[in-house]
Amino acid sequence: MFNYTFQWKQALARLPQMLDGAIVTMQIAILSMAIGILLAVVLTMFRLSGNRALSAIAKTWVEIARNTPALFQIYMAHFGLGSFGIHLSPFASILLGITFNNAGYLTENFRGALKAIPDTQTRAGRSLGFGAAGAFRYIVLPQMLRISFLPMTNQMVWAILMTSLGVTVGMNSDLYGVTQDLNALTFRTFELFAVAAVIFYLITKVITLGARLVASRLFRY
Amino acid sequence: MIKTKLAAGLMAACAMTAPAFADKLDDIIASGTLRCAVVLDFPPMGMRDESNNPIGFDVDYCNDLAAALGVTAEIVETPFPERIPALMSGRVDVGVASTSDTLERAKTVGMSIPYYAFENAVVANDKVEMTTWEDMKGKTVGATAGTYEAIWLEKQVNEWGEGSFRPYQTQADVFLALSQGQLDATVSTVEVANANVKSGNFPGIRVVDKAPMVPDYVALFTMRNEYGLINYLNLFVNQQVRTGRYAELYKKWVGEGEPANLAIPGVYR
Repeated sequence: MFNYTFQWKQALARLPQMLDGAIVTMQIAILSMAIGILLAVVLTMFRLSGNRALSAIAKTWVEIARNTPALFQIYMAHFGLGSFGIHLSPFASILLGITFNNAGYLTENFRGALKAIPDTQTRAGRSLGFGAAGAFRYIVLPQMLRISFLPMTNQMVWAILMTSLGVTVGMNSDLYGVTQDLNALTFRTFELFAVAAVIFYLITKVITLGARLVASRLFRY
Repeated sequence: MIKTKLAAGLMAACAMTAPAFADKLDDIIASGTLRCAVVLDFPPMGMRDESNNPIGFDVDYCNDLAAALGVTAEIVETPFPERIPALMSGRVDVGVASTSDTLERAKTVGMSIPYYAFENAVVANDKVEMTTWEDMKGKTVGATAGTYEAIWLEKQVNEWGEGSFRPYQTQADVFLALSQGQLDATVSTVEVANANVKSGNFPGIRVVDKAPMVPDYVALFTMRNEYGLINYLNLFVNQQVRTGRYAELYKKWVGEGEPANLAIPGVYR
């Protein structure tokens, strides 16, 4: 079935270029997670605020982010905004698309985490003299982030894998984009994408294992 | 009686083992179907009509090839980057997909003699001031990922050391980005450029200049080791020109005028 001779040397010769791409992939993923977590905290506060308009914003965001394909979100960040004359570079488009997606999913994660924190915690905090904001900031928020730490690493892995969608908006400097470029040049599709897959696997493995290590250190009771 | 049974059995066994020695050309003839990889996002070479049927120069070329082989043609739509995976995974037999015959690629797949040659044009957004192709220097330019012109343009941008290059996955995305102003200019084949400017689907773009590249010779391709099929493809391309079918298809899909000369003076192929 596979009438084909693999030429691994040709692919391995391009490894330095692909590793440069992997760094860009990491940059996008890390930035999108950092901004995504901040946005998700803000959205969670919107939800808890009791203000109708604010919680409607949070709700709409989460609904769109979770119920449409990431590809659609990234495409819209580039061509959708482009049709209104807002021109984002491919890097900015993919960053915006993934951040939007991350923020939506993380808000849901945070909601789950909040459910695991008994109300009595807040009440105890309030009775010790914290204001509403103080109780959230010092009592609820740290626990929420702790409970949702591992789900957050899941989202991080997802963010890394989603960077591969950047090729649809003209991205050619990330790992997938570089691989696609080299593929067009050499037609060594299988070898190049196999190498890319290994790099993706290693990155995500390091992140999940690292996160577990960090979690076991930080969250010892 | 026993002898005839044995003979029949032997013959059956031989017949069953025979396909193991058959090459791709035999397989195609035996299966009765020729599966062609065609890019249907590349007018006028490959596109779809109002009722979503594949049409275009490459589609007709595949149909002609199938007719010559006495089999039915099956058009398998493959975007540019997926032509090779489609071939290697056995989803198609040959590529009739406007594939540039670069030496780098010929290390991986087997190329026929050229069956068409493109010239390339620089197309710019109306809001960008450009008069020659060199005005692309320092601009944001892009082209369809995996094409000859994209490879040329990216190299050019790297040589200039300023401006940026963006490959998009489809020709339509390139022209959408150009029309929106995300790209200042693109390089595409003259055929595609004219078709897209004329169609009115992408307002605000114009053809500026020809791109100074060696004509983009494109070849049919199949597995590198299928000499039988490659020989057949070479003869087929030759016959298409000889019988005037090449000129006929050119007139049908591209327009009036002479189709490009497929022979290169001063050298054998």
